[in-house]
Amino acid sequence: MTAPTLKVIIVPCSGIGKPYGSVSRAAAYEVTEDLRPGQTQLVPLALLVLGDEESRSVVEACPAVTIDGCKLACAAKMVRQSGGTIAQEFAVLDVYRRHKDLKPQGIAELNEGGQKLARVLADEVIAVVDGLITGKQGCKNA
Amino acid sequence: MSDFLEITVDKFTFKVATDRFYNAEGVWAKEEYGRIRIGLSDFVQKRNGDLAFAEVKPVGTALAAGEEMAVIETIKVNIAYSSPVNGKIVEVNPAMSGAPEAINQDPYGAGWLVVLEGADWDAERAKLLDPQAYFKIMKGQAEEETKKP
Repeated sequence: MTAPTLKVIIVPCSGIGKPYGSVSRAAAYEVTEDLRPGQTQLVPLALLVLGDEESRSVVEACPAVTIDGCKLACAAKMVRQSGGTIAQEFAVLDVYRRHKDLKPQGIAELNEGGQKLARVLADEVIAVVDGLITGKQGCKNA
Repeated sequence: MSDFLEITVDKFTFKVATDRFYNAEGVWAKEEYGRIRIGLSDFVQKRNGDLAFAEVKPVGTALAAGEEMAVIETIKVNIAYSSPVNGKIVEVNPAMSGAPEAINQDPYGAGWLVVLEGADWDAERAKLLDPQAYFKIMKGQAEEETKKP
């Protein structure tokens, strides 16, 4: 019998057509596809908005890290509204304020600054993910 | 405490404080015991979006009306704002260096930009818009914004 998989879900902003939204999604992809593919799962905000049952059940079962592109904080609000627990909220703007040289521009394709900012943000997210997994605070078999 | 003129355009409500004067760019000026406090209107902060940085000219800078006073960077734009009146900067809001989101949170209060001294308020006020006049201009600008794709 294998040990249950501990997971953390990542919910990025869905601000399509906005550089800060693009950074949030780029960071989420880096975390879930490249940096911590086994320990994290991306849940698209749109599915939560639509009330997708599978997405809601994952959100209810697992701690979430939200990444929002603006102060409306749609990702954080939808996770809460879906019955989820947020382990950490990130805002792209806060990270950019700490890295003024990495100004994100572009929409369909982020500029170099935006890509680097996404990487910095992804590193901050995985630090939280690693802490949750180490503390055995992920969900089980979601 | 300020009273406001309010209008809702699309899903946004914009407030114009009635205890101060404005220029057409939405920069407000309020006389306070011989000094003039300057800031940005609610419409301006909502149109520009979340503040990332605000770079304000330092204390001691002499400004003529129309001269650059501050540059703000938001998630949408980089934009320079000019002083609406003549005067010398005697205070810069310390929040601008570390927490410029004060402009978004409280544009008519904690989000002020600078305080000027040395201006002839009666003469300066005559060049500015009263709240009702600015409200009309702002309403037109807000309606234009909603037409943009």
